[in-house]
Amino acid sequence: MPANKKYLSSNWQRFAKITAGIVGGYFVTISSHIALAYLVDHTAILITATFTEFILWVVLMIVAFLAKNGWRIWAIYLLITFLFSFLVYMGKLYNPILF
Amino acid sequence: MKNRTYNILFHTHTVSGIVISVALYVIFFAGSFSFFRDEIVNWERNDIVETTDHMQFNVDAVLDTIAKTHYLYGRDIELKKYYREQQVAVSITASKDSLAPEEAKAPQFFYINTENFEEHSYLDVYSLGEFLYRLHFFAQIPYPVGYYLSGFVALFFLFAIITGVLVHWKKIIANFYVFRPLEKLKTMWTDAHTTLGMLGLPFQFVYAVTGAFFMIKLLLVAPNVLIMYDGDQAKFYEDLGYAHPSFEPAHKKLQSDVSVAAYMVETQEKWSDFEIFESHIFNFGDENMHVLLSGHLPYSDSFNGVGEVIYKANTGKIVSEKNPITEQTYVSAVKNVLYRIHYGDYGGLALKLLSLLLGFVTCFVIISGVMIWLVARDKKNIPEKKRRFNERVVQIYLAICLSMFPITALSFIAVKVLAPASQSFVYTFYLVGWLLLALLFIYKKDNAFTSKMSLLLGSIFGLLVPICNGVVTGNWLFMSIKNGDSSSYTVDLMWLLIAVFGFLVVYKIDKNPEKRKRN
Repeated sequence: MPANKKYLSSNWQRFAKITAGIVGGYFVTISSHIALAYLVDHTAILITATFTEFILWVVLMIVAFLAKNGWRIWAIYLLITFLFSFLVYMGKLYNPILF
Repeated sequence: MKNRTYNILFHTHTVSGIVISVALYVIFFAGSFSFFRDEIVNWERNDIVETTDHMQFNVDAVLDTIAKTHYLYGRDIELKKYYREQQVAVSITASKDSLAPEEAKAPQFFYINTENFEEHSYLDVYSLGEFLYRLHFFAQIPYPVGYYLSGFVALFFLFAIITGVLVHWKKIIANFYVFRPLEKLKTMWTDAHTTLGMLGLPFQFVYAVTGAFFMIKLLLVAPNVLIMYDGDQAKFYEDLGYAHPSFEPAHKKLQSDVSVAAYMVETQEKWSDFEIFESHIFNFGDENMHVLLSGHLPYSDSFNGVGEVIYKANTGKIVSEKNPITEQTYVSAVKNVLYRIHYGDYGGLALKLLSLLLGFVTCFVIISGVMIWLVARDKKNIPEKKRRFNERVVQIYLAICLSMFPITALSFIAVKVLAPASQSFVYTFYLVGWLLLALLFIYKKDNAFTSKMSLLLGSIFGLLVPICNGVVTGNWLFMSIKNGDSSSYTVDLMWLLIAVFGFLVVYKIDKNPEKRKRN
């Protein structure tokens, strides 16, 4: 039994979800880990990221597919990325890794 | 779970799985043999080596040999035992001395045979073991395409694993013992897929994550370096402990003699049985010469005992060390564990055989997934044209995947009979042979024929591998077991087991001709 088509999105919605999951998910993954690296011991976070980043990225792809609206999930991922980017910016200002 | 969620997860699992299926099968099939990479290489060349990562050969003699043919003064020389082979890798940096001869102004990389001290290039020592190992991350496809392709296959494999578990979530326990081979074909494939998928879940999850890490880590590293380190890559690698320190040359010749072997003995006495697989020499023959030794405690003593020591040559004193027993950090532990759990090299032969088995189980999970895809779409309400297309797709998939078994077995025989085999021979024989077999199966358009023929041929060739080894080299299985020649008997035994298992499957298929017809 292939999946019931009535639950699957098509065309632009599908495009939005795939790109949101792969590209948007990548942005969220990277920005969240870097932001975290500025808050706690950065080497520990960087090395933990070698496995948690892949797992988080894949989870975010799945979440994007489950979303009702592909463009909205894009917007949410971008918003989260900006939030984390702001934290990274603050981190670079007040707690830089390179002196 | 809501109907909508279930259907979406189900669909994404199907699509991601079917897209990566063939590539993933190749990765797991070649990868399963890669657990035995070193054994295959030694088996092929009839080299008898000790199963240790320690450089148990005379390191000083190797250095003397290199010094005879290469200008070494002031250069960095690294001897590294990447594999448990008779060869050791040598890399020499470009000379920093402006008076050095032209030859010394470029970096060099080659292998030295630790028994007869002959120098070899990478191509000289190419082997089937190396070929299969590299096939499992598509290194034969020009860099970086092959690496990224295999990396993304691993990433989407992780996607398929997680969605698969979620789809199956409610039935994990209820269906764990359910196997209905005698009911509809569809239930047989589904039961096999879910049960073996559940059993192999931890194994597959680990390989998906670590595999993605090995191949596409650059995607993660690049933003870290650019954003956090302002592009200072060297500092990044230094922070994570991936880089060696550097020492400036004093530009004065060192007066005393240096014995790296003596340092190795001293280190081994300090940390009992410490296995030194790398010795890096900074500024060879210079007053500021340093010797770095790095290695790990035997895996039977410590899963995670990585250590390093640096000696200053003109005083013989230790200038820095990382004690493998007491100084274990989180960072070095993660770095080590990512490799150990992927390579499966810490538990001896039993773990390798188990990993091989789980690798093959994963191959079966992939094939059964493809079969579910086909059977689920073989319905009356689906247009005839579409059904025929699906069937053709699966015929091609199976032809490519299953023909790997006989051609791999046949290649073992070929490299044994025609030893030593060159890289071009291994490439041609394996890839052309694979293509021809696959084309034959594609042409026959019969899945039952494809599966039975490749199993039968693979098992026959597999059985011939140990026999062939015995005839060509006189190293029969019982002889090599008696002599403790572990590489030889490991490969022979592995093929014997595979062949017996293959025959068993063929026999079972034959006993049940009714079901084959419906396939």
